[in-house]
Amino acid sequence: MGKTITISPVTRIEGHAKVTIYLDDSGNVADTFVNVVELRGFEQFVIGRPVEEMPRIVTSICGVCPWHHHLASAKANDAVFGVEIPPAGRKLRELCQNIAYCSDKILHFFFLAGPDFVMGPDADYSVRNVFGILQANPEVGKKVVHARYLGTQMLNIISGKSIHPVTAVPGGFSKPLLEEERQKVLPMAIEVLEFAKFAISFAKENLFSKYLDAINSLGVIETGFLGLVADDGSLEIYDGKLRLMKPDGSYEEFEPKDYTEYIGEHIEPWSYLKFPYAKKWGDFSMDLDSPSGIYRTNALARINVCEKIATPLAQAELEEFREKFGRPAQQTLLYNWARLIELVYAAERAVELLNDPEITSKETRVPVTPRAARGVGCVEAPRGTLIHDYETDENGLVTNCNLIVGTTHNNAPINMSVKQAAMSLIKDGKYDQGILNRVEMAIRAYDPCLSCATHAFDETLSVKMDIVDASGNVLAKLEN
Amino acid sequence: MISDFIPEYCSSPILVLGCGNILFGDDGFGPAVAQSLLAKADLPEGLCVIDAGTSVREILFDITLSKTRPRRIIIVDAIDKGLKPGVLFRPSLKSVPLKKLDDFSMHQVPTSNLLYELKELCRLDVELLACQVQTIPGKVAPGLSPPVQDAVSRAVEMILRAASDDTHRGANAQDQLSDLRRI
Repeated sequence: MGKTITISPVTRIEGHAKVTIYLDDSGNVADTFVNVVELRGFEQFVIGRPVEEMPRIVTSICGVCPWHHHLASAKANDAVFGVEIPPAGRKLRELCQNIAYCSDKILHFFFLAGPDFVMGPDADYSVRNVFGILQANPEVGKKVVHARYLGTQMLNIISGKSIHPVTAVPGGFSKPLLEEERQKVLPMAIEVLEFAKFAISFAKENLFSKYLDAINSLGVIETGFLGLVADDGSLEIYDGKLRLMKPDGSYEEFEPKDYTEYIGEHIEPWSYLKFPYAKKWGDFSMDLDSPSGIYRTNALARINVCEKIATPLAQAELEEFREKFGRPAQQTLLYNWARLIELVYAAERAVELLNDPEITSKETRVPVTPRAARGVGCVEAPRGTLIHDYETDENGLVTNCNLIVGTTHNNAPINMSVKQAAMSLIKDGKYDQGILNRVEMAIRAYDPCLSCATHAFDETLSVKMDIVDASGNVLAKLEN
Repeated sequence: MISDFIPEYCSSPILVLGCGNILFGDDGFGPAVAQSLLAKADLPEGLCVIDAGTSVREILFDITLSKTRPRRIIIVDAIDKGLKPGVLFRPSLKSVPLKKLDDFSMHQVPTSNLLYELKELCRLDVELLACQVQTIPGKVAPGLSPPVQDAVSRAVEMILRAASDDTHRGANAQDQLSDLRRI
């Protein structure tokens, strides 16, 4: 008699997910499904609205990635209006992108993924959280919160708002950076860079080294990767071309506006969320032994697709990473390591930009005129490649809108990693809380933002595993 | 080291966080209250108001880790408890089941376990001011329903009265937010 294991909701990820694990008659994993809720109705809601409102509206899509939606939308607007923005406007946008990246990386590593490594996946869940980290490493907690304070303050000084930003506008950036503001922000960025250096050293010495076995076994799947790169192949998070890399490391590149030629969207009847795939790699298949069309985005993808990193400290980290794990690295838990390399890069790049004399230029914006056009804006959100695609009529009103958010790209890989983790951990019907948490770790590594729409005060929130026989009878329940 | 910088949401004695997604009908109640407060020219001294939208958890985590914290936090949110739409009420954190105190699921904001941590472990006065929704649509549809819109001004007045009373009573007052508690 087959059984069903349900983990719902998965904790310490952005949003809610329900994991269902089907066991066969011998108690081994037959199949798994990760079901998620997606933002529904946004693309219809914006039809008929002035396109220049989009950068402001889209910050309400997600409380986790407001800056990245804001910037992708502003870039799509630039394309719709057909303008080149002034260098200072571009640099201010890129500066905000990098500062927001730093805050997000710190949040994810220390609050979400870190507890699994600091406290260990078998630790009681009551201490396997950021408070456990604080008790085990109080000095680390102080550094974490200070670095995040600085990120908030920098964005407030540069743009006036760290939440719900409004300063990236069609044609540029609405607020030039004053010299006295630059002088305030630069030492803050330098301090965040010092924290980034501490964070990756701390993680390598104290955390990752203890869990290399898990890194090399849990949720490992073989896929391709997608991410932005600069013209010289360097890591890019604000601009550039999209590089689509096959599992064997070969790749092709394309302009973000041409994404529909390369990326298809597969639909599964059991999920509202679409499954993007590489059109030219054959039919879509999530078969673990012979996947087809599957690529991943987010930190590990960006680290894999780039040739190099243009800042020296992050480049040194990249070289060490590749020496250990090769290229492309397929281990899912390496997302956490790649994330910290990106933290170093983002902090270094923020310092670079703040030392650029052009950053305080008063020329940050050009005027725009409505027209009928299509515009695609693409940035790397922390959770993956973020694409905003708008079409407008001659009055600049939106006639079509398509968004592909970072987590959506990773829908198929998340499902595959969960299946791989469950198949490797659950044998003969035996499982426990530690095993369940390891399955969740495979999801958390992707740092998914599964539902920007969900919002309710849920007093029954818990991790739940139900074991149900083929007739629908609940045989056992586990909760934490 | 720039060690003297503390965000206003940590350094202000009283913090009001308007939570919710303005794209989803009555879920925008919290942000609407925050915006109404922010539109006032004469907010009481020591009161920090943030339209946190769906970003509140980042603020709460920073506060949790911070050595400098507000004395009191008022979370304004939309909740469906099956009451009459537009009714303001104050859910008790004591109702949070113990089993879920440590599952830091983030986006479902504000997670009740995190509020519990702030209240019990950080010893902050954490208050929830909730409005019963009429509807939260499944698809994007901004705009408050009439009863929830009517509740915005009432919530604003309650918060201003509570903040004013708190200022007059001082930091050690034990009966803070008395107006809210009479809801």
